[in-house]
Amino acid sequence: MLAIDAREVAKTFRAGLIRRRETPALRGVSLTVERGAVFGLLGPNGAGKTTLLSILATLLTPDRGEVYVLGLDVRREADAVRRRLNMASGNASFLWNLRIPEILAFYGRLYGVHGATLRRRVDELIHTCELDAHRRVPYNELSTGLKQRLALAKSLLNEPELLFLDEPTLGLDPDVSARLRRHIASLRSERGMTIVLTTHYMREAEELCDEIAFIKAGQILARGTADQLKRQIAIGDVIAFRLDPGAGARLGEMTGVLRATPTSDGLECTVDSAEKRLPELLAALHGEGATVRGVAVREPQLEEVFVELAR
Amino acid sequence: MNWRGELIAAGAFAIRNLQMASRNVFLIFELLFWPVVGVVQIGLMSQFLTLSAEEKSFVLIGQMAFSIVGTCQLDVAYSVLYDFWSKSMKHHFLAPIGIRHLTVGSWVVGILRGTVVFGLTGGLAWYGFGFNPFAAGVMPVVALLVGCYLTAWIVGVFVCVLILLFGGRAETAAWASINLVLALAGIFYPVSLLPWWAAAVGAAIPLTYFLDAYRAHFGFTAEFAFPVVTGLVLSALYVALSHVTLHAAVNRARRTGLLLKMSE
Repeated sequence: MLAIDAREVAKTFRAGLIRRRETPALRGVSLTVERGAVFGLLGPNGAGKTTLLSILATLLTPDRGEVYVLGLDVRREADAVRRRLNMASGNASFLWNLRIPEILAFYGRLYGVHGATLRRRVDELIHTCELDAHRRVPYNELSTGLKQRLALAKSLLNEPELLFLDEPTLGLDPDVSARLRRHIASLRSERGMTIVLTTHYMREAEELCDEIAFIKAGQILARGTADQLKRQIAIGDVIAFRLDPGAGARLGEMTGVLRATPTSDGLECTVDSAEKRLPELLAALHGEGATVRGVAVREPQLEEVFVELAR
Repeated sequence: MNWRGELIAAGAFAIRNLQMASRNVFLIFELLFWPVVGVVQIGLMSQFLTLSAEEKSFVLIGQMAFSIVGTCQLDVAYSVLYDFWSKSMKHHFLAPIGIRHLTVGSWVVGILRGTVVFGLTGGLAWYGFGFNPFAAGVMPVVALLVGCYLTAWIVGVFVCVLILLFGGRAETAAWASINLVLALAGIFYPVSLLPWWAAAVGAAIPLTYFLDAYRAHFGFTAEFAFPVVTGLVLSALYVALSHVTLHAAVNRARRTGLLLKMSE
């Protein structure tokens, strides 16, 4: 069963009264996400990730295309959709002088939660998101990490079936990011929530997402699991040689070598097939009298897929 | 319609506005300083100009209405302004609420604060300048306050519409629009004194009629027939119109992406 079914969604932003400026943000994006999945949207800045997420979350109206969220039409049944989803973003902001429980209680009431249920849910979320020690602190005095945890807590107030996370770990230090990622992962495993997240961090996408779509200039260029994407993009294998400085300078010119990049302790060659090219490269290095102190073969990182697609 | 749900959502905005107001240093100015200073200034000016008791009541009623409408409309405008300033606009519109919850909840706080302002300014006008707001009974006061609160709601929603249409560029309207409306409503003078075109605009403002009705109890001939009924009919019309306009402005903001821009 599908949590999201978007077909040929297009959106262009228009500005200026006299000199009309048009910025196409989405150019016919089609996307389906299964219920219970964690789905990642990757792409460079201005690719259309947030625009797509905002359309799915009913914050933005598409110019054309059809969008069904949890089986409901986002245009005709927007209110029913809103009851069942929520969203948190890495740069979320709340009223500056309200405290954490007040902010959560306010948004909880907007979802119809009240009385003892509201108090219990607010307390639970404060506890789950590790915000207990900061209950009395006004929002504008919270650190970035706490603000992001509060945004996540707010997005769970209505116990959504579908959760949108827009760069949830943006600007966080590694430790806090890791904790937040664990928490996001637990939302799916414990509550069966469908999660759609945008991120710039490949590790985050690889760690959390069942499937990833790569979006650029308002179009989805590729989609699949992290492994499928690596194969689909076919950017080859990477062979890292530990060499003396300056050695292997001519490897980049050999057949099958897509790229040769000097590193601090040698050379990294991206080749079409490691199995096929490694003996040839070793023979070439041996021929020029270079001392090979180590060789490592690895698959490309998702980050390299990202770079390749964003190019 | 689920009334419980309606009350909870509108109540959310009322509670939030109260919490914000309770921590806002400007509250003292909005609630105490400006209204009190206004009545003192007008009262002293009326003594200096040796105005008759009727004339003094005319301008003091105007000053009281000015403070009540000004305070109440700010609360309605705050329903959008707070989120505009804190860049948290999108959270509301992500939730399953209507704009009625936003405006009515904030308006309730505006009525509370407006009533406090009435108590303060009325008490001061009575104690300091011998003008008893209740001289004609309770009902004329109730009618005036209803007129002030309805006008405040309409102006406040109008400000919200401007913010949602033009973003930050319209912020000044929040502070300026009320002065224009009150000037045209004949706050310190009869509307008949205005140029014909301004008087025509003034005749389209509900407060004009509520002021006229109230002042009629203090020795002034009413300028309009059935002023309270006319004021209520006009108010109902504008309340409906402003609600529809705000709804359209929200939809436009969803279409243009302004809702997102105001949250970045």
